[in-house]
Amino acid sequence: MRLVNAELLKLRTTRLLLWLGLLILGLEILVITIHAFQDSLDSLAGPRQQRDVVSIAAVSALISLILGIVASAGEFTHGTIGQTFLVAPVRERVLGAKVGAAAIAGAALGLASCAFAWGYAALLLRSRSVPIHLASGASLRLVLGTALAAAFTGAFGIGFGSLLRRQTAAIVIALVWLLVGEPLLGVAHVDRYGPGHVVASLFEAGNQGSDLLAFGAGIGVALVYVAVAALLGGSSLRRADIT
Amino acid sequence: MAAPLEVRGLTKRFGSTTAVEGLTFAVPAGRITGFLGPNGAGKTTTLRMLLGLVRPTNGEALVDGQPYRKLADPVRSVGAVLEASSYHPGRSGRNHLRVLATAAGIPTARADETLAQVELSSPARRPVKTYSLGMRQRLSVAAALLGNPSLLVLDEPANGLDPEGIRWLRNFLRSFADGGGTVFISSHVLAEIAQLADEVVIIHKARLVAHEPLAALTGRAAGATIVRSPDAERLGERLAAAGIDATHTDGGFRATAPPERVGEVAAAAGIVLHELRGESASLEEVFLELTGDDEEGEEE
Repeated sequence: MRLVNAELLKLRTTRLLLWLGLLILGLEILVITIHAFQDSLDSLAGPRQQRDVVSIAAVSALISLILGIVASAGEFTHGTIGQTFLVAPVRERVLGAKVGAAAIAGAALGLASCAFAWGYAALLLRSRSVPIHLASGASLRLVLGTALAAAFTGAFGIGFGSLLRRQTAAIVIALVWLLVGEPLLGVAHVDRYGPGHVVASLFEAGNQGSDLLAFGAGIGVALVYVAVAALLGGSSLRRADIT
Repeated sequence: MAAPLEVRGLTKRFGSTTAVEGLTFAVPAGRITGFLGPNGAGKTTTLRMLLGLVRPTNGEALVDGQPYRKLADPVRSVGAVLEASSYHPGRSGRNHLRVLATAAGIPTARADETLAQVELSSPARRPVKTYSLGMRQRLSVAAALLGNPSLLVLDEPANGLDPEGIRWLRNFLRSFADGGGTVFISSHVLAEIAQLADEVVIIHKARLVAHEPLAALTGRAAGATIVRSPDAERLGERLAAAGIDATHTDGGFRATAPPERVGEVAAAAGIVLHELRGESASLEEVFLELTGDDEEGEEE
């Protein structure tokens, strides 16, 4: 547990979380403001529509992925991994602690993201005299799904970052996969099993017209992705010479 | 009882490059052992194998009789100073130590204690990116001291330190060893090691070329005797008669025989001596003799 605490302290003692949090806030302000002032009053009135307004909070899952990558590969970028392994020479334990810490930080980021989105949306909707239905079942499922998704992506980012050990390359590859690679899976109609779609199945659970995995299946496949990334990352770390 | 540090047949190859080849030595407890070698000789690789950061191709590197990775509480056994640049630039020195202390299960208050110990308390809350190289080195030393270890392994700790910092480091390491601690220190500043070390390990081109007490190494390397007498003329005659080559120096001779032999010749002739001592080579001379003249260019 002390290694998890140390990893959480690492995250809290740099400005990384602050910058990533500000990025989420900026995106939320932009998207929710556009929704609130451009959508008609009718289209904002229902619980499901209001859930869609705040669904931008799920962007925290993507930001959490970056957080996980930076928390692992960043140690190689800054050369701090040597001191980390001097304190805890069993590398698999370090990886496990990082996975745990990134999952906790990701979930916290997801919840904070939802809290701000809900508050900001309520403020704007009230200013337009729209009745607030943000405590609906659909909205609460979005909160739960976002927190889970961000926890999974943070943990996945640790394994992926440990595997590549190059921060920028890992982030670029992850983004290219999500934007280009995963849509190509749609050609073979297997895109719902891609990591991006699996994560989306968590916060889009129960959403109308969704072609994603069911919530439970999504959790199962997400766990498999996290486990595989951690195994590959752990194998890479175990063999790495820290020169 | 196992030596604090021991390497046996230690070999490391990176692809076709051999960084360390068949290295075997043990570092005795309670002494300061200097680890010397030209750039690229394999010092840093050896230290990193000792600390479990680099996997040996062959052989083993042991701390207190076991591989570093198997130490139950490594920070309380070994304090290590690696490169001064290994910090997150945005994290403060104090927080850097708090992270390490938390991971090691050491109370975080210890971070402030070690910062005070290395005289780094006032900038402790500033980001490391604002530190000078010397301050980063002190921070590295503070990190090494967190667990109150009995063994320090230091890789070029004097790099970037100003003269006052170097003196502080020297005094600190000496008092650490006097208190029973063991120090294994690599440095390219031979004068520093000459002032500090009890023993030296010298490697060259990945292989061990010397491991012995510093005094023995420098003394053995010379073999000549400096002798002075008020009766220099007669002493010179007697030395020549005894078949000992002696060249005039300021007020005496430099004789190519051990002090014992020169003293016997003088005593047999009843000649008073004012000085009789074995000539020591400097560590630098010994180092250059052992490592040849090709230490330039290679980077470790």
